[in-house]
Amino acid sequence: MRIAGDTIGPRGIAVLAVSAVVGVLLGLHGWSGRHNGLPSTLAGSGPRPSAPARVSRPARSPATTSPATPSPAPSPGPKLSSQSYASYSYQVWPGPLSTAAKAAATGLVIAVHRHGSGIMVTAGVAGRPAPTPRFYPAGAKVFVVEAALGDDSGNSDYNLGDDGLVVTNSQERILQ
Amino acid sequence: MSNTAWRNRAASKSARSKASLPAPDRARAGDLADRATQVTAEWAPTAARVLLGLVLAWFGYHELMAPQLWTGYVPVIAPGSGLALAAVLVHGWVLLMLAVAITAGVVLRLAAAVAALLLVQIVVTLTITGGLTDLTLRDVGVLGLAVCLTGATRQRALLTA
Repeated sequence: MRIAGDTIGPRGIAVLAVSAVVGVLLGLHGWSGRHNGLPSTLAGSGPRPSAPARVSRPARSPATTSPATPSPAPSPGPKLSSQSYASYSYQVWPGPLSTAAKAAATGLVIAVHRHGSGIMVTAGVAGRPAPTPRFYPAGAKVFVVEAALGDDSGNSDYNLGDDGLVVTNSQERILQ
Repeated sequence: MSNTAWRNRAASKSARSKASLPAPDRARAGDLADRATQVTAEWAPTAARVLLGLVLAWFGYHELMAPQLWTGYVPVIAPGSGLALAAVLVHGWVLLMLAVAITAGVVLRLAAAVAALLLVQIVVTLTITGGLTDLTLRDVGVLGLAVCLTGATRQRALLTA
């Protein structure tokens, strides 16, 4: 058989048919696992210019700079290390920031301030209104999740669908 | 310096360099160079096919296995929606099919043309949303590979049977 000037025989058709079926099976697997993504995904509708992610140093007078009323601390969940995204989670608090963490935070604005006995965390997409800060007790650690660093270019993250934020307690049990 | 002058100078330099070798060595070097050129001409399009197929297969596989990580690339549609997920799955399936067709050499030119169109769409979308960046230009290189294969007439290891 000839298609667009190229010859295709039974073996070629068989190879394409098998790959079509394999593709459908992989797609069904992907569809069934669509909820196994990242925690609190920071997905947006496209790349956003960003200032570098910033993690501030402790404020001298937290009571006067408090941006919001602290909400109650959430109860601890599973350990971060037991999650599928543990391998691409990068610690941003406490610092110092690694090069990978800086790259992973491209396109995001993550701000952490000491607040009384804990920390206040704000994480959002650069260029959009910042969400309400959340309070976490002392010892909390903040991680930025980035499944593929290859989607970052300069100050833009082309795919915020694979970015997320995780906050753990001192035993690295997930709080958010 | 004019083109002709530059060519003359390069030719005389090359001749001087060859003349400095003994005659048998010169012949052997010429044979090796001819053979390398021949092998490259025969197999380079096949290598291009396999490498382009690898790129498409990698992206297709990951889009199918974890579509939720790729929805941020879908233009217009909200990333968290089921429609965006479905779009990624369809895109991944098409990429996988193109990868197999190009690597195996089944309807190669048609598959390469479809891949080129898909890459044009990707490059245009990325340029509109993020401007010309290193990522966009990397895709321009892959697009060039696909365009080359749409006109490839000499191929080894094709599955035409």
